[in-house]
Amino acid sequence: MSLVLEQQVALVAAALLAAATLVRVWAFAAGRSGDRPTFALLMAAVAVLGAMIAGRWIREGQGPFLTMYDVLLSNAFSLGLLFLLVSWRLPVVRSASLVACPVLAVLGIWMLVVPSEGVPLPPTFDNYWLWVHVGAGKLFLGVCLASMSAAALLLLRQRAADSRRMAMARDPEELSRAVWLLFFLAFVFHSFMLVAGAVWAHSAWGRYWSWDPLETWTLATWLLLGFILHARATFKGMPENLGYSLVIASFVLAFLTFFGVPLINNAPHKGVM
Amino acid sequence: MMGLVRKLASLKLTLIGMVALAVVSLVGARTDAVDLVWTIVPLVLLSMNLAAAILTNRSFRTQTGLLVFHVGLLLVFALIGLTVATRFNGRVEMLQGEAFDPSMLEVDYRGPLHGGDLSAIRFVQRDFEVDYLPGIVRQETRGVIDIVDDAGGQRRHMIGDKQGVEFGGFRFVATANKGFALVLGWEDASGARQFGAVHLPSYPKHDWKQVNDWTTPAGQPVRLELELEEPPIVTDAAWTLRRPTGGYRVHVQAAGAEIGVVSPGESIELPGGRLIVADLRLWMGYSVDYYPFLPWMFVAAMLAIGGLAIHFGTRYLPQAERKTEAVIQEAPDGHVIGA
Repeated sequence: MSLVLEQQVALVAAALLAAATLVRVWAFAAGRSGDRPTFALLMAAVAVLGAMIAGRWIREGQGPFLTMYDVLLSNAFSLGLLFLLVSWRLPVVRSASLVACPVLAVLGIWMLVVPSEGVPLPPTFDNYWLWVHVGAGKLFLGVCLASMSAAALLLLRQRAADSRRMAMARDPEELSRAVWLLFFLAFVFHSFMLVAGAVWAHSAWGRYWSWDPLETWTLATWLLLGFILHARATFKGMPENLGYSLVIASFVLAFLTFFGVPLINNAPHKGVM
Repeated sequence: MMGLVRKLASLKLTLIGMVALAVVSLVGARTDAVDLVWTIVPLVLLSMNLAAAILTNRSFRTQTGLLVFHVGLLLVFALIGLTVATRFNGRVEMLQGEAFDPSMLEVDYRGPLHGGDLSAIRFVQRDFEVDYLPGIVRQETRGVIDIVDDAGGQRRHMIGDKQGVEFGGFRFVATANKGFALVLGWEDASGARQFGAVHLPSYPKHDWKQVNDWTTPAGQPVRLELELEEPPIVTDAAWTLRRPTGGYRVHVQAAGAEIGVVSPGESIELPGGRLIVADLRLWMGYSVDYYPFLPWMFVAAMLAIGGLAIHFGTRYLPQAERKTEAVIQEAPDGHVIGA
């Protein structure tokens, strides 16, 4: 796939994600389910993004690891795929696509406005631990997105004036259980991402920890996840709304770490050059 | 005593420790207002809190995964402490043909309990080359060193981006830092000669300023600037940095004015002696690290993650699976994805 064709296909992917969002919001406003068209569009978007990654990989001879475009493309794909998988295994989470789809659409549209030219991967970066580290990071963010979306939906449900519109969140207790199940799983994946990242960093530039911006903010995110899990255990009477708000805050912090730090720092990991 | 331990095991203390660690890390990493060494305070607090909780918290006796995670985490904290106390980080620039000497090392960090022995390390830097893509994008580094054994024999070892070399726990890794070095001779008034090398700034990063200051053995400060007849750097095509074989000249300045241009094998008279330009070679920058507890830290971290996985599998997953089956059976509108 040539770069020009890839840029055109990216437009299709972003349009599919935006369409999934619009359909879901329309269904919410109309008090209807909207699952079928939303998930059909989401699956189509994920398939297109997967094809883009495959084409880019063949052309560049390397995975989407380095540039902001790589990060946005690969995460739009992995987050979409993981949300589909979570929705398959935990059907109650499907309704949270009301929140997840706009996040995916933001990634898809953002992808259109950053330079898409590839940058060669430094040889020191290229080892198996890079795959493990990046893979664990994508699992973390994908699961965290599903948890956050479910938490946000529950908050929305409590504040919605029109209960008919919130019919999609049929089983709030089950949805709440899903929030914390996914949140704990996100913590497991985040922990593994940190360890795998340290091993990779040590092999890539001889330091397992450098206090660079990405590492520091990732540690802060891990501490926030741990803080929330401990806070739930410590304050048994903690209002559910506060718990859901903290879950949303952890995703916001993770999102800013994943996509904000690389935006303001050309070398998010010190060893990049 | 147990009362104190129970207080120390407080979950509220855990929350305070986490917030403190996050604040010190973020402020310390972003500004000079707080030294990152202060992360040790919340880490010690969390370690004591964790140890006390493992001893007194009953939930750990019924939740094996949680216990394994926290024991693993405590081990990680302890090993971080041991690593800080014993680690060594340094840098060295090795000239082609030069034997390693511990006195050449620039030490970045030496832990108070560091016990490594650098004096036993013996190797000689041989040739190396670095590939670049158009746009001066660094690619593969390939190099050779000769490791000298106790009997004086030499064993060839390849060096690359993914292949360092380890001596008694000290890990030498080739870095992106490398450049040209002028091998110079100095002949004093009595005719005695000595040789040494002046390393020029990293190349191609500083290709426009291949210049360095040097003071002759007679105390004369001079500035030496390399002029390559055919610089290897190419911006719009692939190229390889290797030991130069083409022509070059060295511009010698003193007190801000050029006093001569010297070609290879030639010399220039300076106060107190004669400067001879003997050779042009490359130098390779290595990072040198010593982390004796790193493998154990990895094992402890994996133990902790294994504990988390067990906890997830035993406490969270069974509930979810039971409930998922019920939801699939009840789904009224056929919208269950993949069900």
